[in-house]
Amino acid sequence: MLKHTLQRLLLVLPVLLGVLLIGFLLMQVVPTDPAQVRAGPTATQDVVQAIRQELGLDQPLWKQFAIYIGRLAQGDLGVSIINNVPVTQELGNTIGPTLELMLASLVWAIPLGMFLGTVGAYYRGSLIDRAIMAVSVAGVSLPVFFLGLGLIWLFGFYYPILPFTGRTGPLWTWEGIQGIILPAITLGGVFVGPVARMTRTSVLDELGADHVRTARAKGLSESRVVLRHTLRNALVPVVTLIGLQIGFLLGGAVVTETVFSWPGIGRLAVGAILSSDLPMAQGTIIMLSLGFILVNLAVDVLYAVLDPRVRGT
Amino acid sequence: MLKLSTLLLAGAAAASFAAVPAVAQQKAPLSILRVIDADNYDPIRTTATAAAEVMYMLADTLVTVDFDMKTIKPGLAESWTVSPEGTTYTFKIRKDVKFCDGRPMTIDDVVYSLKRWTDPANKSPVSFRGGPVKDIRADGDSTLIYELKEPYSDLMFQLALSFASVVDKAIVEKLGPNFGVQGFNGTGPYCWSKWTPRQELVLKKNPHYSWGPPIYKDPKPQIDEIVWKVIPESNTLMAAIQAKQADVTYYMPYIALDTMQRIPGMTVQRQENYIYDVFMGFKVDKPVASDKAIREAANMATNKEAIAKAIFFGKGQTLPSLLNPAVVDYDKSSADKMPKYDPAGAAKLLDAAGWKPGSDGIREKDGQKATFTVYGIRNDSNPRIAEAMQADLRKVGIDMKIQLWDATVAWGKLATQEFDAFLMSYPYVTATEAMSLYFRSQQAPTPNRMNWKDPKTDELLKAASMATDADKRKQALAEVQTQLTEANVWVPLVSQPLWVVATDRVEGARAHGLYGAGLYKGLDLKLKR
Repeated sequence: MLKHTLQRLLLVLPVLLGVLLIGFLLMQVVPTDPAQVRAGPTATQDVVQAIRQELGLDQPLWKQFAIYIGRLAQGDLGVSIINNVPVTQELGNTIGPTLELMLASLVWAIPLGMFLGTVGAYYRGSLIDRAIMAVSVAGVSLPVFFLGLGLIWLFGFYYPILPFTGRTGPLWTWEGIQGIILPAITLGGVFVGPVARMTRTSVLDELGADHVRTARAKGLSESRVVLRHTLRNALVPVVTLIGLQIGFLLGGAVVTETVFSWPGIGRLAVGAILSSDLPMAQGTIIMLSLGFILVNLAVDVLYAVLDPRVRGT
Repeated sequence: MLKLSTLLLAGAAAASFAAVPAVAQQKAPLSILRVIDADNYDPIRTTATAAAEVMYMLADTLVTVDFDMKTIKPGLAESWTVSPEGTTYTFKIRKDVKFCDGRPMTIDDVVYSLKRWTDPANKSPVSFRGGPVKDIRADGDSTLIYELKEPYSDLMFQLALSFASVVDKAIVEKLGPNFGVQGFNGTGPYCWSKWTPRQELVLKKNPHYSWGPPIYKDPKPQIDEIVWKVIPESNTLMAAIQAKQADVTYYMPYIALDTMQRIPGMTVQRQENYIYDVFMGFKVDKPVASDKAIREAANMATNKEAIAKAIFFGKGQTLPSLLNPAVVDYDKSSADKMPKYDPAGAAKLLDAAGWKPGSDGIREKDGQKATFTVYGIRNDSNPRIAEAMQADLRKVGIDMKIQLWDATVAWGKLATQEFDAFLMSYPYVTATEAMSLYFRSQQAPTPNRMNWKDPKTDELLKAASMATDADKRKQALAEVQTQLTEANVWVPLVSQPLWVVATDRVEGARAHGLYGAGLYKGLDLKLKR
């Protein structure tokens, strides 16, 4: 198990290096000029050039990358070229609210998706099953921003019971809980459908398996058969899907955070890219990629826990 | 195309506004919503209107501008005189002014701030606005001498802009590049409390402040705390004001203004004298755009009134000339020379100039198609403005190709020579500023993106800038406006409207709009509960 974990951990390094290189190059190929953006529309070219020198953007590309990697090795992600704030400080300020939002989304979406999928499978072909599948298809199809705006209209405006203009406080306060409800429903909403569908398919496979038939023959209760003998085995593909979906959730967080003015890393990334703040944009790319890689690593490890057969592979 | 989500939300809101009870926002801070934050709040390091709109609250300037956008009023300076030759301005500075930290403002603070702004060594993108400075010095403890190498008629208006704000030298030097990022100490009605970039900026009342400009009824601030909150998604912003989760905004989508006006208790107010204009400029040295007939035909074929009505939902105003009628030295007679909407006339003009319709309907002359490419920023209005113009020009046989760029890319692209025309919107305070910025030869290639290099224009603009007599300045600017109108260098399009929307919790909200600052100093604003 430890060997399996270490192997997967070692694979993270080249992936991360690739992400760094691609992230750096991507920001270079975008035909933007941070110096021009900072100087403003009325600045003359000599002012723009002075800013370019000040930011080090007049250096050759390889030199800029070498400086960047050298700093990164020391844990220094640089400072924002827009407002001079250290990138690590901004990331530190925003990662918490994003994790908070993702956690609040997953905490209801995963159990609900698995519950709906299991019920759908158990009552296969019934009206309940069809209704659940219809809801899950709608959930998969609905764009995040649309769901967000719909919820704002319904619960923020028509029945004005919930705030929707940003993080209203820490999660352990009543204000904080109120403020996270709509963003969490929005972000989690797109998660329920895929989990429900995968759970349904997986549980259906398991319900027809020999060991389930044996469990029933032994006279075990239906709840025990479903929860203990079916669901656990059905979890392997579901966990894989959840891992992959968390990656997409990060993408959804960017939209959700923008719609709800949530002060997270997604909104920081959008702001950094829109203002051509290269160090900040690269910092957010690294952080989001790292999040994605770590989630996949966790899924790999969890996969091995759930199914011992994969440990040797 | 208008965003579907905007239409949906506005439509839904319009259908149901009556059902909305008073909501959430019940306590202390006044929350002002906007869609974008500034990069920093150092007055000399940023050109963003998002910085200016807060800077006027954080700091003061020597003089202020009245709501008419034409009259200069006292600010930190109680009075002033100008030497007959127009090179020496002497300001009498108030003695009762204190910074937010309680320290009395001295004449040295004023000298330091203005020198910091105008000194080329500081590489400020806005230092040129201070004019050809020879020296800025104190004379005693309350007199400031602002000496110029040559007359600069624009100085008083430029001194009213946020770039010329007086700041505390001690905190500027202590914070270095983090001044306006980690802290600020000014003499404005509100004090810097906390800034979370891209999210919110919290201001507290300056307890010492009692020297507000005479354009307000009450010279003292009435609100304990103001939160400038960034809501990047305009639909969310719209819903937040409607649901009364925030108090004031002037970033309301135009489509929602009528709905807002129908909501009981909501104040929706327009600044008639707001100066933020949209135009299309031609590069006059490009193959097709260099032909005056093409430029004039474009002016005649564009239905500017329809653009103002449709794209700004009836809230915009057609720009009748190169300049906004609200600006000082606007010349009505040159506005009268601006070609009127006349598509048939445009077609005749092109015929006469030798541009004959080709088989595809696009005109040709000497093997050259009447085609040009326009660049611009992809914002809320430009795509629709460009498409409307494209359709209008197509009707007279001109093919306008549109290439709009994301804001991250646009400024770099707009500094190139790749395009033939460009769409632009900008705020300004005087005719001299606007014309000098865009039409002086030395300003090419940016911001003089037209590559307009004309000795006569330069001479007239210099004369306007150096005029010590208002009539002479007006005369010089009138000549420039006439010359450029006749040359059809621009297609003036729309004057963007400024509307301040405030909920029933707010009293005294009045639209100002100097350099985009809708609430200017934030005085007279009160909270009812």
